[in-house]
Amino acid sequence: MAYDRRKFIKDTICAALGGASVYSAFGQMQLLQAAVRGNYRFAAGDYKALVCVFLYGGNDSFNMVVPYTQAAFNGFYGSGGVRPQLALNRAQMTGVTVLNAPSSGAGSPGDGNQYALNPVMGPQKISASGTGLGNLSADLASVFNAGHAAVVANTGTLVRPTTQAQYQSDSYDLPPQLFSHSDQSNYWQSSPPSNLPVTGWGGRLADMVAGVNAPGIPILLAVNGGDIYTRGQDVNAYDMGSDSATTVNFLGYNNAGNGSGLCDPAGAYDPGAVAAFCNLQAANAQANVLERAFANSMNHSIATAGIINGALSGAPAFNAHDQFPDALSTGGDLDTQLQTVAKLIWAANNNIPGYTGLSRQVFFVSTGGYDSHSDELASHGDTLPLLSRSLAGFYNALASVGLADKATAFTCSDFGRTMTSNDGGTDHGWGSHHFVVGGAVNGGKFYGNGCGFSGASAKFGLVMPSLANPNVDDSITGYSQNLNDSGDGYGRMIPTTSVEQYAATLARWFGVNDSDIATVFPSLGNFTTKYLGFV
Amino acid sequence: MRLKVAAIRFCAVRSIATICALCFATAAVGQAQLSHFPDPIFHDGYNGLDSPGTANVSAADAARFLTQATFGPTDADIAHLRSVGYQGWLTEQFAATPTYEITDRPGKTNSAYLNWVANVLHEDVGQNNRQEAWFQGALGGPDPQFPSNSAYTHTDQLRQRVAFALSEIFVISQENPTLDGYARGMAWYYDQLIKDAFGNYRQLLQDVTLSPAMGEYLNMVGNRRADLTQNVHPDENYGREINQLFSVGLVMLNPDGTPQLDSGGKPIPTYGQATITNFAHVFTGWNWADCDKNYDYPNNAPPVFNGTYSDHFTDCFSPYEEPDAFLKPMIAFDVVNYPDTGDPSYHDNGTDPVNDAHNKQLLAYDATATTLAAVNGGVLPDGASAFSDGTAAGDLAFALDNIFNHPNVGPFIARQLIMRLVTSNPTPAYVARVAGIFNNDGTGTRGNLKAVVQAILLDPEARYGQFHNPESFGKLREPLLTLTHFWRAMGAQHRCGNNIVATGNSSASMYANQPYRYAGYGTTFVTGQSTSYGVGVDQASLDAPTVFNFFKPSFSPPGEVSARGLVAPEFQIATDSIVAGSNNTFANYALYGNYDINATCDANDDFGDVVVNYAQDKALAGSANGGASDPSNRLVDAYNIRFMSGQMSPYMRDQLVSYLNTIDSSWANGSQDWRLQRVYRALYLILTSPEYMVQK
Repeated sequence: MAYDRRKFIKDTICAALGGASVYSAFGQMQLLQAAVRGNYRFAAGDYKALVCVFLYGGNDSFNMVVPYTQAAFNGFYGSGGVRPQLALNRAQMTGVTVLNAPSSGAGSPGDGNQYALNPVMGPQKISASGTGLGNLSADLASVFNAGHAAVVANTGTLVRPTTQAQYQSDSYDLPPQLFSHSDQSNYWQSSPPSNLPVTGWGGRLADMVAGVNAPGIPILLAVNGGDIYTRGQDVNAYDMGSDSATTVNFLGYNNAGNGSGLCDPAGAYDPGAVAAFCNLQAANAQANVLERAFANSMNHSIATAGIINGALSGAPAFNAHDQFPDALSTGGDLDTQLQTVAKLIWAANNNIPGYTGLSRQVFFVSTGGYDSHSDELASHGDTLPLLSRSLAGFYNALASVGLADKATAFTCSDFGRTMTSNDGGTDHGWGSHHFVVGGAVNGGKFYGNGCGFSGASAKFGLVMPSLANPNVDDSITGYSQNLNDSGDGYGRMIPTTSVEQYAATLARWFGVNDSDIATVFPSLGNFTTKYLGFV
Repeated sequence: MRLKVAAIRFCAVRSIATICALCFATAAVGQAQLSHFPDPIFHDGYNGLDSPGTANVSAADAARFLTQATFGPTDADIAHLRSVGYQGWLTEQFAATPTYEITDRPGKTNSAYLNWVANVLHEDVGQNNRQEAWFQGALGGPDPQFPSNSAYTHTDQLRQRVAFALSEIFVISQENPTLDGYARGMAWYYDQLIKDAFGNYRQLLQDVTLSPAMGEYLNMVGNRRADLTQNVHPDENYGREINQLFSVGLVMLNPDGTPQLDSGGKPIPTYGQATITNFAHVFTGWNWADCDKNYDYPNNAPPVFNGTYSDHFTDCFSPYEEPDAFLKPMIAFDVVNYPDTGDPSYHDNGTDPVNDAHNKQLLAYDATATTLAAVNGGVLPDGASAFSDGTAAGDLAFALDNIFNHPNVGPFIARQLIMRLVTSNPTPAYVARVAGIFNNDGTGTRGNLKAVVQAILLDPEARYGQFHNPESFGKLREPLLTLTHFWRAMGAQHRCGNNIVATGNSSASMYANQPYRYAGYGTTFVTGQSTSYGVGVDQASLDAPTVFNFFKPSFSPPGEVSARGLVAPEFQIATDSIVAGSNNTFANYALYGNYDINATCDANDDFGDVVVNYAQDKALAGSANGGASDPSNRLVDAYNIRFMSGQMSPYMRDQLVSYLNTIDSSWANGSQDWRLQRVYRALYLILTSPEYMVQK
């Protein structure tokens, strides 16, 4: 990212073009850039994986981590409270999803109240025909209370610390296009989104440490669809299905019926066809930049699929009742994705032939259904149980093979949602609560700059200041004393912890040094506390 | 940082130009150095725009035009275009009878495909049937209900192609769990896009806004005025996306589609959150057609629906009572209805001092004085005024006019339609020319989509851009469009299956197997993917994962494309998984010849398959016993026109001809003609090649 690095690249490309007759100048660039990644070495056996769990649509975490203390619960959900239309059943939380964090001081929610998870996140009987029929599923509150999961409160996109007054002034530096799905999910993943070409912080961290891994094996993996998060400057993610990698079957057949799956005409059933196919896909040979990009996609796919499937084939099933039992639940296949990640982490730590020499990996898994404009209690009934079981199952699976401290999973989402509702749903907001899960997590606690916020309204409790204080006339319209003014009321919470602080804390655990972290997260310097200490 | 990137681009572009010249110069020297650029040797020249006769439009140019304007050229369409010329073809297409999915022709009950399926065949209509209906329009050809009546032959390729492009801008999706259960409602939505494809954008905006499927997808149906006692406010979803995705976009645009920058070099936002909030307040008071008694008392007639009338705004779950409510625009709840007087309490018109937003400032923009006066500077006054009668419908019309007249709409919509039909990176001048037609079609009309489509396709850049920017012109083909291309070019028909006709009681398990009906079962339309063969292309009509379509217009794949500052949206679905999966699909269809129109039917297969006519090209593939003495040139050159618009490079042609020449009569498989082996392999190698995959 430094000046001299870019200069180096530019000069080298121009020099290189004088020589070999290639159509693509930039096809060479990835190779050239490989020379300038961070210089890291990790001890044998020092393996770490970051697992980003992206919840598309903007999760209403204010109905996921909720006040449990009776008075706070009443203020939140009761008549005249913040969100009476989205009230949960407190009795169902008791003894099931209540979070036993410290009641005061460090690690407490900060407002003196006790919190609980939405009761749909509690353990459930395995009812399908899968492994462990009749047993209870994994659940996140148990993992939290055992000290392996933490809540990072009211986190979101910020350029620098922001107060309500600063937000309302027209000149303050804010993330562009707040409340827009695409822009805010991009910001969460790239931090900031303005770098060119656009890269994600998962990708940039992988760039920094790529040199520690054996070449050819993906350091970055997107399971069930990638996004900006998995785009590095040098490193390109492998984008696989939820449970396996898709192979080009034409290359998988030879005279023995089981070809390499690679461009290898020798011994192929129809070597002439394989040769012609592979010549047409040859890297950087095509005349049009889009053709070269397509060939790159195809070649990357061909080269990597077999490696991944080989690694998966020997891994434990991780299908115990408290891990990933079969035929889990509605709401998507986040469970299958995390089961696959657990298998790949196992493979990286068990000397699987063709899958050795890995010290660091970054995974991206994702699930949707969180844009709860209507019927939120019902949609959360689909999405949150899956989230709870998947995150807890992931911890349990790795713990069962002694690898729990090798991986840290953490949630991200476009944005939080409004504290107010719109007849059963909520609108796009800003700050939100997130989970961090893993054996290395200093769990059972709440984290975040906002905890203990001195001016917190009694009604809002943990969730900090609203954009427009509901008790004061709004200066924009001059009309409302309520949450329905057009001047950004509605209870959109200004984040009190930034994505950069959240991400930098994870990056430091990952083993990246302070100066490289500052490079990866250019806005981090705007925040006094750079690392939150949750892992 | 900016300057540095620019420096890199300059260096590269200049260098490539040098290299290109070098390659052309060396092309003739030897096989190892054959050019990867298209070569005029294999392309029979190019010519003027408005050329009516055979003498002027080459086969290659005709194929290239049809690639942009249809679901893929066929030999017959190429010949026809050559006989009538570009303008003649466009005129025919503008006049062609629209193929609707669920809207009958006037006076012809059940003539639309899904009505025939539901009411004549008595089958339950689901998403598979909707995809069948879509393929009917996309593939064209005879109608399954009237297979021998040419008046029902589907020929409206351009309208269908534009409607598909619109469906990738105005997105709804069967991935939405509620919509998934209402395939007929989604078909009705798609019919609005078909209807308005050559109409006016303002009408399109209104039809989209009031369609129940969109109302359900982006939450405008049942959206209501604030109720502070409940801490409830209007939903912003539709108010946000209609601006961000359907009309003006996030940043102010110049007339050529480039972003306007402030003094600090940052893009200028088109609107702020307060604007979206105000739109949300305007878009209130609309609900399902049958939530209101007007639905059943249109003429003060007695009720015809023997159910329970909800006539209640907040508790109306209409489609579960009366699915046809999905086939009518949403209604404003404040209109007088028999025998009641209408209920205005759910629409925010600014008159409630506590709950409403007041004198709502919608989009503010620079425009002509006349336009600005007409839209009152974007301010919707409270209650009845000169600008609105203060009803839900009056306020909605004001809001849509406010959007429609924003100067961003022309370049925003022009650029996206160009990207869907022609090229991912149009020059600003091309965008400006098309946007200019959007702003004024020459007769003073704004928003004339027919004129916009014509301007896009006849623009010099659409016709000649491949020569001006050979190293970057074009777009990656969408997987679904490769499939339609393959099927159209290879004479696809539905075949086999057992003709099981339901009687009276409908049953989803029945499948009446009529000729030209494209069975929506089995492998044919499966859009998922796995590691097995032939599981589809991971794309289908109205099946995007989110409102941001299958891909975002701004997507740029990492590496060279990004580094050059180009976008290539379709690469968002050219992932490692999908390129392999699509490749496997074409291995199944093409390489292994598994879907052959001449194959024996499986008596146990109730649904049959879409099959193609490989044998139609046997004569091209050879005339004797193969090998080098009976070469494959003619087949490769024919496919070069039909599939690649004559743009196959000398290198690729050499690869194909050399390999296919090794195939001879010893490759005969039992009674199967050896020449089919050349056809299979040529198809697979072409359809999976980078050169084919980029439409140029």
